[in-house]
Amino acid sequence: MKEILTIDLELCTGCRNCELACSVAHTQSFNPKRSRIQILKDEVRNLVVPMVCLQCEKPLCQEACPNGAIVENEHGILFVKEEICIGCMNCVTACIYGGIAIDPQTKKAVKCDLCNGDPACVKACDYGAISVASTKPEGLHQRRKAVSPAFQTLGLQIEEVQE
Amino acid sequence: MTFPYKGYAGYYLEVDLTKGEVHKKEMEKEWARLYLGGSGVSSKILWERTTVETDPLSPDNVVVVGTGPITGAMFSPSGRMMFAARGPLTGVWAESHVGGFMGPEIKYAGFDFVIITGRSKKPVYLFLRDGKAELLDASHLWGQETDTTTKMIREDHKDPSIETAVIGPAGENQVLYSGIIVDFYRAAGRAGLGAVLGSKNMKGIAASGSLGLEAYDMEKYLEANAQEMEKLKDPLWKDSLASLRKYGTTDLVAIINEIGRLPTKNHWTGFYEDADDIGPEIIAEKYRIAQEACHGCAVGCKYVIRVKGGKYPTEPIGGPEYETLMAFGSNCMNNDIESIFHMGKRCDLLGLDTISCGKTISFAMELYEKGIWTKEDTDGLDLTWGNAEAQVELVEKIAKREGVGKILSNGVRKAAEQIGGDAWKYAIHVKGLEASGQDPRAHQSIGLTYATNVRGADHLRSISCIEELGYPKIAGDRFGPEKAEAILEIMSPKHKGEVIWDMEDLYALVDSAVICKYTTMWPPVFYYDTFVNVIPALTGMEEWGNPKYVRLAGQRISHLRRAFNHRLGITRKDENLPPRLLSEPMPTGPAKGGLPDLSEMLDEYYEFRGCDRETGYPKETKLKELQLDFVVDELKPKGMTR
Repeated sequence: MKEILTIDLELCTGCRNCELACSVAHTQSFNPKRSRIQILKDEVRNLVVPMVCLQCEKPLCQEACPNGAIVENEHGILFVKEEICIGCMNCVTACIYGGIAIDPQTKKAVKCDLCNGDPACVKACDYGAISVASTKPEGLHQRRKAVSPAFQTLGLQIEEVQE
Repeated sequence: MTFPYKGYAGYYLEVDLTKGEVHKKEMEKEWARLYLGGSGVSSKILWERTTVETDPLSPDNVVVVGTGPITGAMFSPSGRMMFAARGPLTGVWAESHVGGFMGPEIKYAGFDFVIITGRSKKPVYLFLRDGKAELLDASHLWGQETDTTTKMIREDHKDPSIETAVIGPAGENQVLYSGIIVDFYRAAGRAGLGAVLGSKNMKGIAASGSLGLEAYDMEKYLEANAQEMEKLKDPLWKDSLASLRKYGTTDLVAIINEIGRLPTKNHWTGFYEDADDIGPEIIAEKYRIAQEACHGCAVGCKYVIRVKGGKYPTEPIGGPEYETLMAFGSNCMNNDIESIFHMGKRCDLLGLDTISCGKTISFAMELYEKGIWTKEDTDGLDLTWGNAEAQVELVEKIAKREGVGKILSNGVRKAAEQIGGDAWKYAIHVKGLEASGQDPRAHQSIGLTYATNVRGADHLRSISCIEELGYPKIAGDRFGPEKAEAILEIMSPKHKGEVIWDMEDLYALVDSAVICKYTTMWPPVFYYDTFVNVIPALTGMEEWGNPKYVRLAGQRISHLRRAFNHRLGITRKDENLPPRLLSEPMPTGPAKGGLPDLSEMLDEYYEFRGCDRETGYPKETKLKELQLDFVVDELKPKGMTR
C-alpha cells in the first residue's frame, strides 16, 4: 500500500525540525539544506510552504531520468539510487512540485523515501503537523486540506476546501 | 582541519573593516574546552582584545558574533546566537542573544564565530556562504529599515533562504540602545550592540549554508537529547508549555501583575489596573493569527499578529513579547494595545531595543509629570501618562536622534546627567542599562540579579523563577530540602545569594551552548546535568561529562565577565539598585510595602562567588582554581584581586 505525507499548515510553526531530522536520518549530519523535506518561508506574508515528494501515481521525475536511477524500493516507494544518478537535474526540472532536489554536497538527486514506512520527520515534529496518510481519496483530501492556509494567504482560495 | 571537536563548524572569521579584509581561521581548541562557545568564548576574546581605553563607538571596539556547539544541532531550543562587545550604553560588558534561524545558518555556512574590528570607509555587510566570507557594499541598504534590508539582500543574491542579522536607521544613527534584528522580527535588542555595528559602518551579516554539522557520537547524542526532551514531557510542565504555545511570553502580563511585580508608571509601582487590556487573552483572541517557533524548537513561544483597521493597522508581524507590552504599556500607563503593537513593530524596523526605548519614554513622561520638563523641552509633545500618540512620535524621534529624541537616544542615565537637577531620581537603571520588566520590591532575588548582572539591570543573566512561581521540589533538589522553605519565600532574602549565584553560572552555560532560557529559566527543567548529558556526546569533549568540570566552567565564564567589568572600574558600589527600587516601598498592589534586602543578599552572593565582600573583587585563589591565571596577572597589580 503506497503512502503519502500530509503537512497541516495550521499546526506547522515553520521550525524546521523536520528538515533536521531528515538530514540526520539520511546524511548522519545536521544539515537542513540536504533534507528531503524543505520548508519554504515568506515571513512578510506569514507564509509557510512545505515541499516534499507527493509520491505521484505517474512520476514525472522517473520518466525524465535518462539513467534509470529512480526506482522503487521494497515498499513500492521511489528513491534515487545514488550510484546510478549522474546529477543531470533532469528530474528536478521535470517535477513541477519541487519534490526532488540536488543534494548540495553529493550533487546527486535526492527525494523523500518515507524512511521505509517510519518517517523521521513525522516523529520529529513536536507540533504534530506531519502525518502519514494513504493514497486513497481520504488521504489525498487530507493532504489538500492541510495546505489550504497557504492557498488562502496567497488569495488563491477564499474558503475551506469542500470535502 | 585539526580542531578536534564535533558540533562546532570548526572555523571562525576575523573581519578587519578598516582594511576591508576577512581571514578564516581554525577554531581554538581551548575556547571550546574551557569556555564552550557563545558568551564564554566572547568573554575570552573581549578580555584579550579590548582595554580600559577602548571607546565603545570607536574602530577599536570589537564585536563578537557567537554561536555555540548546540546551535543548529537539533536540540530544542537551540536556534540561538549572540553578540558581544564593550557596550556604548553602559561602557561595560554588553551581550545580547537572539533566536530565529540566523545562528544555525552561520554555522551551516561554516563559522562558529565572527570577530569584527575597525571601521569601514563606506557601508558594508558581511556575506557568509559555505566556508567563504566577503564584505559587500551596503550603500544601497544604508538608511533602509530592517525588513526592507533583508528583502533587498535576498533579492541581491536571488536566494530567499538567506538569513540575516541587520541594524536599522537607529543603529546607523548610533542610538545608544539600538539593537540588531534577526529574521525580520527577532531582536538582539539590549545594550546597544546595534550602535556598535553602526559606528563601524556595518549594516549587518547575511548567511546561507549547506555545510552541515556532525556529532561525535550521533546515536548517543540523539539518545541524550531524547532523555532531556522526556524531562520536558513531565506532566508538571504541561500547563507551562501549553501556555507558552498559546500565549508566548504575553501570559506574563497576567501572572506578573498578580504578584504585583509588573512595572507601572516608570517603575513607580508593580500593579497595573488595566493589565487585562494589554494581554494575554485579548491578544490571543483578537489579534493572533499563527504560532511560530525558532529553529528546531519544541517550545514555540513566538506568534504572529495582524491588525485590521483602526489607527495602527498592520499586515502580519511578529507579536510583542511581555517586555514590550510592559515597556510601552503598563510602564507608560498606556492601555491601547494596538499602539503597543505598532511601537513594537516600529522598534523592530528601526532597530531599537523595546525595553530601553519604552523605559526612556516612561522616564520622559515622569519628568513631564514632575514639571522638570515642559512642552518647551519635548518639541511641544504632551507627555501625559498614557498618551500613546506622543509615545509613537517619540519612538520615531529617538531613532532619528531628532529634537527631544536626541537626548533620549542616550538612555536614561546619560539623559539624566544632561538634564541635571532631580532627573536622576527617575532614571531607573543599573550600570546605565534601563531596567527590564521586574521589580525587586515584589521579588527579592531579582534585585540581586539586577545588581550583579554584568550588562546592567536585566533579568536574563540569573533570574530565579523557583520562588516567583513556586517550585518546591526543584528548590529542594537543587539546594537541599532544609533550605527549600526559605527559598520559596519570595520576599525573604535568605539563601537568595546562593540561588542567584547558582543560576548565574547555569545561565552562563546556557548562553555559551547557545540555547534558549525557556526550558532552563522557565520551566526550570534543564540544569547542569543537561550539559553533562549532551555536550560530550555531541562534541567529544570528555571532560564535559564530569559534573564538577561543568560547574567550574560555568563559574569560569561568570568570573571572566565580572573581571572584564572590574578592569573598567566596576566594584560593589556599582552593583546596586536605583533609589526607587531600593528604598521607596512598593506603594500599591499585592506587593505593597515591599523592599529588597540587597546588602544581605549581596554579602551571601559574594561569599558563594568567591569574591571579597567589601569590593566585590575576586579572590586570587578562586581565579586560579578556574584557570584564570591571566586575569590574576592583570588585575592583581591594579589591586583588583583579594
